[in-house]
Amino acid sequence: MRSAADLAQLREAIAAVDRELVALLARRRALARAIGRAKASAGLPVLDPAREVEVVRRAAAWARELGADEEWVRALFWQIVAGCRRAQREGEACAPPSGASA
Amino acid sequence: MIVVLRADAGPAELDAVRAWVEARGLRTHVSRGERRTIVGCIGEDGRLDASALRALPGVEEVIPVLRPYTLAAKAFAAAPTTVPLAEGAAVGGPEVVVIAGPCAVEGRAMLLETADAVRAAGAVALRGGAFKPRTSPYAFPGLGREALALLAEARARTGLPIVTEVLDPRHAEEVAAVADVLQIGTRNMQNYALLAEVGRLGRPVLLKRGMAATLREFLLAAEYVLAHGNPEVILCERGIRTFETATRNTFDVAAIPVLKSETHLPVIVDPSHAAGRAEWVAPLAFAAVAAGADGLLVEVHPRPEEARSDGDQSLRPEAFATLMRRLEGFAAAAGRGLARPAPHRAEVAA
Repeated sequence: MRSAADLAQLREAIAAVDRELVALLARRRALARAIGRAKASAGLPVLDPAREVEVVRRAAAWARELGADEEWVRALFWQIVAGCRRAQREGEACAPPSGASA
Repeated sequence: MIVVLRADAGPAELDAVRAWVEARGLRTHVSRGERRTIVGCIGEDGRLDASALRALPGVEEVIPVLRPYTLAAKAFAAAPTTVPLAEGAAVGGPEVVVIAGPCAVEGRAMLLETADAVRAAGAVALRGGAFKPRTSPYAFPGLGREALALLAEARARTGLPIVTEVLDPRHAEEVAAVADVLQIGTRNMQNYALLAEVGRLGRPVLLKRGMAATLREFLLAAEYVLAHGNPEVILCERGIRTFETATRNTFDVAAIPVLKSETHLPVIVDPSHAAGRAEWVAPLAFAAVAAGADGLLVEVHPRPEEARSDGDQSLRPEAFATLMRRLEGFAAAAGRGLARPAPHRAEVAA
């Protein structure tokens, strides 16, 4: 019985982490849209290949530092970076960062 | 199986349809258009009962997919896919886009000279090989990392996005630090580890048709990239092997309308590899655009007689400029305009 209670508790903790993750992803997307607007007004292209690689490598370094699986973090970050690049193109059509709308 | 939702179906209906499909062990992929939402079911279709699915609230239509590819299938997308290249230029958009440059980056001066020339003539992106797959192990394999640095310089100087080939999954990240579009060459169309890797990186992919690949195999290769989470795939017809040897390859012009009816992905043509000879490049380019191609990939070299690869099929900058001028008429006849290079602010890019 004790282990069933533990499991339920752990699942609750996972749900709380997931909610935080989703909120962070929404925040990141909103920031990406703001970056898209800034790039547009500076006449810069949305895609910055060197910068994207830098962002993924920085996340990989943090993964090593924080004890997360590095390859897993890299794979996730390539997806995040690509998704946020696409969001940058929506920059003008969307509301300013609120964290809740994305 | 594809589920089309009624225009008035809301998020609750969509969630219910996804939950119903996912409970049967399949994954769902949603494509939203202006007038309808499409839920694609990925996995073993046999597990789904179409009539039960049809009875769910909000469902307008359930269509079986009779193709081995699903994410690449035209019915899977509510609208054609466009792949943004630069400001105002998207492959698959209303305008025809032209990507041009040398087969291989051979040095700084020739690359910058070519980049300036193709931009002046109206190309919206620069191609140039850094890592080259060669039939002979003794042929020029490209300058590798040195070429990547030169491509980055050309990008900063001209503002043109870079299209360059990835040969090896181990180099993919290095190439991605420079390239706006990762090219998969004809010889690697069925290199599934490489397709998975460029799928994972999420960068636009230009996938060349294998020289002996059927259109079905070509679309299945695209499916690999899509299935790894990357929706931005450009298909490139570049000629196939036939009994004819007068041209380097045989330009399969029918591939354009067939692909357009099979898939939502944009289709471009490389007339240089199809022709194999510079004087035949322009007519094939015109035919491609007349047949509905979304763009072209053209080899240009300032001095083709000195080229270390593909000199016979490379256009001189003047010939490329002539091609671009004449292309406008063919694009107009096909109901399209030609995309122009985005204005470049050297001061901010430097």
